[in-house]
Amino acid sequence: MERPRILLGTFGMILDPLLDLFRGRAVTIPPMDGALRPNTLLEDSTLLREAEAPDSLVTAKGEVLFASGKDIRRLADGATIASFSETITALAANADGALAAGLESGRVEAGGKSFEGFKCPVALAFGGPDELYVCNGSDSFAPSAWAADLMNSNASGSVWRVNLRSGERSCMARNLAFPYGAAVDTGKRRLIVSESWRHRVISVPLDGGSPVELLAKLPGYPARIVASPSGYVLPLFAPRNRLIEFVLIEKDYREAMMREIDPRYWIAPSLSAARSFLEPLQNGGVRSMGIHKPWSPSRSCGLVVELDTALQPLASYHSRANGTRHGITSAIMHDGAIIAASKGSGAILRIMP
Amino acid sequence: MTSIIEMRQITKAYRGVPAVKDVDFTLEKGEIHALLGENGAGKSTLTKVMAGVVEATSGAMIYRGKKVAYASPFEALSDGIAMVFQETSLVPSMTVAQNIYLGEEKFLNRLRGIYIAAQQFLQSLNFTVDPAAIVSSLGAAKRQMVEIARAVHHKAEVIIFDEPTAALTPEEKRHFFALMKRLKKNGVSIVFITHALEEAIAHADRITILRDGELVASGQASDFDRDKVVRAMVGRALSNEIYNVRRTASDIRKRGPKVLSVQDISMGAVVRNNSFSIFEGQITGVFGLIGSGRTETFKIVSGIYKRDFLRGGDIELDGRKVRYNVPASAVKDRIIYVTEDRKIEGFFETMSIAENFYSGLLASGLEKSAIINFAEMRALSAEWSKTLNVKAINDNARVVELSGGNQQKVVIGKALIQKPRVIIFDEPTRGVDVGAIAEIHQFINRLAGEGLAVVVISSYLPEIMNLSDRILVCRQGRVVEEISPIEATEEKIMYAAVH
Repeated sequence: MERPRILLGTFGMILDPLLDLFRGRAVTIPPMDGALRPNTLLEDSTLLREAEAPDSLVTAKGEVLFASGKDIRRLADGATIASFSETITALAANADGALAAGLESGRVEAGGKSFEGFKCPVALAFGGPDELYVCNGSDSFAPSAWAADLMNSNASGSVWRVNLRSGERSCMARNLAFPYGAAVDTGKRRLIVSESWRHRVISVPLDGGSPVELLAKLPGYPARIVASPSGYVLPLFAPRNRLIEFVLIEKDYREAMMREIDPRYWIAPSLSAARSFLEPLQNGGVRSMGIHKPWSPSRSCGLVVELDTALQPLASYHSRANGTRHGITSAIMHDGAIIAASKGSGAILRIMP
Repeated sequence: MTSIIEMRQITKAYRGVPAVKDVDFTLEKGEIHALLGENGAGKSTLTKVMAGVVEATSGAMIYRGKKVAYASPFEALSDGIAMVFQETSLVPSMTVAQNIYLGEEKFLNRLRGIYIAAQQFLQSLNFTVDPAAIVSSLGAAKRQMVEIARAVHHKAEVIIFDEPTAALTPEEKRHFFALMKRLKKNGVSIVFITHALEEAIAHADRITILRDGELVASGQASDFDRDKVVRAMVGRALSNEIYNVRRTASDIRKRGPKVLSVQDISMGAVVRNNSFSIFEGQITGVFGLIGSGRTETFKIVSGIYKRDFLRGGDIELDGRKVRYNVPASAVKDRIIYVTEDRKIEGFFETMSIAENFYSGLLASGLEKSAIINFAEMRALSAEWSKTLNVKAINDNARVVELSGGNQQKVVIGKALIQKPRVIIFDEPTRGVDVGAIAEIHQFINRLAGEGLAVVVISSYLPEIMNLSDRILVCRQGRVVEEISPIEATEEKIMYAAVH
């Protein structure tokens, strides 16, 4: 091997991680380009309904339902069809229209039964009439404290299979960094899971085995993935930004921040753009001549990505830093259009692909 | 008007092959005369005869009523004929001011005085070049400005510009044409060779067109339009084939997997937190004005420049982080950069076509043999000369003897021999004639069709709009906008590039 190649070429690349210890690792974010090219399609989409923190869209018997606080409501007329004593954190419907719901306390209600033992049920999916998959985002924090889970660099999430008839449950994958969505791919006998804090989508084999990475290095935090005719629809509930990524590698700062600052003002992802002057990053999005720069760094955004069957991005719909339709935690395909729940802005939207 | 130069039946042959054949050409006093033609049509040769760079094989040149035959450019310059060459003729190790005043040095020189004079002179031309800058540190555009300034400084009566605007930004071009008009007003006669036909039609008084070394048309510029010029140049209406194709959604190639992800790379103040992705099976067009960091960004990607040591960002090839410190490592990973400055970085000009092709193979590490295999070299050269339609007397012809278009094809062939996965073309058709542009475009399209990740960096908007499947616009060291070619307009791209 010639001398320059040894000194400067391959060897240099091997040295890089070692050098990073001294010079500091570059904090980088994958670019939003190609299919993820920013637009205002989500911002400009049709408003179907306003509701308090809409979340977990499902289709049951041809009707679109969503969770809003403690209620399950119908999209068509906004009517409440069921209520719980605590906030609903996840919802699923099977082919017959039967519903399952995850609750803030960790309880999962399905088929008239209650299943305990979860800490953070944030996504549910039916595998059959009697089979339910549960994404338990964290073993330490409740669903509403998801930001704390991220700031603690937790990877205590897990995916479970629950037999609704017998109550028997088994763990399919653990040590996941906030699994926040599950879609069953019966053809390939796998569960497609979005893992938020690792910014990726993985597949968990239904018949046992280790998870396999399918789509990585997303520029945001993926939420509930659902199947669609062309592949999948994946909402990303918040963008990654370099400041947050930097804070995530600064342990002492993070601990002090969590100890001393109100969680609303943490340098952490957010579901909505706060308007308080205490809001971090306000300098980045400074309004000059009354205009908020759409490309400015932001803790929140609205983003729904269409994926093909190989989980490669096909198209995306954005509400950028200067928009309001932020914090999309759930999206489904219905009547040839994507219906998205913007938890951050309290709106349910219809996007025409 | 009276003729200042009259060329009668000029023929110039190289090794018996005529580059120009019985050409009659007249230049009036105080006129701007555009000389057009495909590469290899004989434009440069004709002007080189005028400027004393080469001697005509036969024919006569009458200058100010006297028959002249210059033995050197110095003789011609002393007589008032200056030529600004396409390839820079500046001394790279000297400063801008020293280059402008080269040959006029006094016995004792006060450097400060030269710099001040040069500064004033450059400002009078509206050229923003630092007179104290070393020429080797300047980009192509600034070198061109110095070259033009030097010619103007010599107070020549006839100035010949060979492709003067190829490296200039639109703003700089405006200044250049204003300067040309000023010179014309002062009675200077100007010959300018260009491939930008609109420039010729808009700014010249008369146009002369050569094809295959022969004069095919000459007349008032107002009598020509773009198609008429192109028809005369290539014998067919080609401009529509190249640039006037309206793109629709079905013309855009489908995006393949992401092959290259560039994240927040930085290099001093030139490249600043630049992020973008490159996909297989698509042509990614990159537009930006000179100084926007587009070339530097891709030189970092291909290991020619190094990004910042501290927090210089990440480059991922197929999800694997890479940091190339030498181009050889990038070539090994099949990332190939085809330079914008082919004369300096693209080929060995005194070597043959075959040797140049073979050098590409040697650099790629694909050639395992330690001994040069001449049979393989010849076969390789024959194959690629045929594929790329390189027009030359034979494979042993030195690359310096080829026309710009054919030289560019050799550079492209040299890159393709290295079996790239990601190929970056920097200004692939700069200084290339219309016929060769069409061939190069077809070839670039074919590469994308074959699934390669292709990047085309260009300052020529119609080229970007017609070739690209996605357009990235650079400004101040980063990609600021991605535009689909369906919705792209020249105004939209330019707006993103300057605002």
